[in-house]
Amino acid sequence: MYGRKASQLLKEFVSGEPGQLTGFNNDLFAQVIEECDGNILHLQALLRKMQEEGSNNQTNKNADHFGALVHHLSLVRNKRCLMAYVYNRAEVIQNLGWTIKHADLPAAVKEKLSISENEYFGKHSSNLQSYMLDLNLDLAVDMVPPKDPYIKVRVLEEIGEVLLSDQIANLAMHSILFLKRIDAESFISQGKMEELTS
Amino acid sequence: MESEGTDDYETLISTTDADLLKRSWRNEKAAPEILQFQSSLVQRSREQIQLMEETVEELVANDEDPLTVSLYQMDIDRTLFLLRSYLRTRLQKIEKFMFHIQKTEDLWARLSRQEQKFAKQSIADLKTHLEQSVLSKLPDRYQSHLKQSVISEEADMVPEPKLDAFVICRTRKFLGALPVDDSGEENPLDMYAGDIYALRYKSIKPLIESGQLDLV
Repeated sequence: MYGRKASQLLKEFVSGEPGQLTGFNNDLFAQVIEECDGNILHLQALLRKMQEEGSNNQTNKNADHFGALVHHLSLVRNKRCLMAYVYNRAEVIQNLGWTIKHADLPAAVKEKLSISENEYFGKHSSNLQSYMLDLNLDLAVDMVPPKDPYIKVRVLEEIGEVLLSDQIANLAMHSILFLKRIDAESFISQGKMEELTS
Repeated sequence: MESEGTDDYETLISTTDADLLKRSWRNEKAAPEILQFQSSLVQRSREQIQLMEETVEELVANDEDPLTVSLYQMDIDRTLFLLRSYLRTRLQKIEKFMFHIQKTEDLWARLSRQEQKFAKQSIADLKTHLEQSVLSKLPDRYQSHLKQSVISEEADMVPEPKLDAFVICRTRKFLGALPVDDSGEENPLDMYAGDIYALRYKSIKPLIESGQLDLV
């Protein structure tokens, strides 16, 4: 049945965790494209036949006319599904771009993206960076409203001596310290620190 | 008319930029579509932040009371958060509705220069991505990223904001009876200052733009 594979593709996307990606389904994607190619062949054949017979598709609605219509609709539907699949994944990728830089993308996420998606992530991420640079303001910090300028964090990975905005700190693994929220946020989003809430 | 004028003037001088920024941020957060960029307000807020940062540095250098310094710092942090979140919300809207914003002149004009640059680049990037992944693999007549096929008369594949979504809003002053329902029924609503309503965004859009109504 036409259109079934495309809807499977979307169902797969929807059933995943929101905001997280499953691997790009190249296989199913190619099958849908194949279906589209089949559709256009049938469609062209039918249109040619109708032209040869000289039938006017406004007045004479015969079996060929509706056959062609079915192929056209199937094509359009498949296109919508494919676009929706890629577009919705692209939205997830955009959100990702807000939290991590392209270079810091974990390999586990990277292998779930298609080649084009990977490229897109890089471009989007650098576009964001250049906007922030134009403004001279980092928008990737301050994701939650501030309550206290300092927060208590535990260091999860060995980071070493780092120059923070108000001090030089030794961020050794397992140490617990008070940092400025702005300093700590980037480490937290990279998973190198966790915030301790009492 | 004249009393209204002085009224506006009084509210104007008693509102600080911090209030204005907060209001713009709230409106931007709650509105489904992108609103006019508040360029002078953003500019002033940034200058203010810089000024306060200098003050803090001075206080630190003079060994002022740490509590005073930390209060100043908190104030800076809050303003910075509002500013960042405001700009961020706008960029996220641009990401979401870029094709729609691009083809609607009125919306395009609401973006700041930097935002327009960002939008242009985003559109180019996403278009390339969609072309590489899907469109180039489809038959000729189905390759547009805006239309389903060449037969479509207008762009029928562009995500648009839902303007008839409900929003919560608060009136700033008495607005009198307003026809808020476009169902054709006579159903004007008396709106008093400070009242809170849940209304369709579409019906109150002009009031938000003129600042008579705030979104919450």
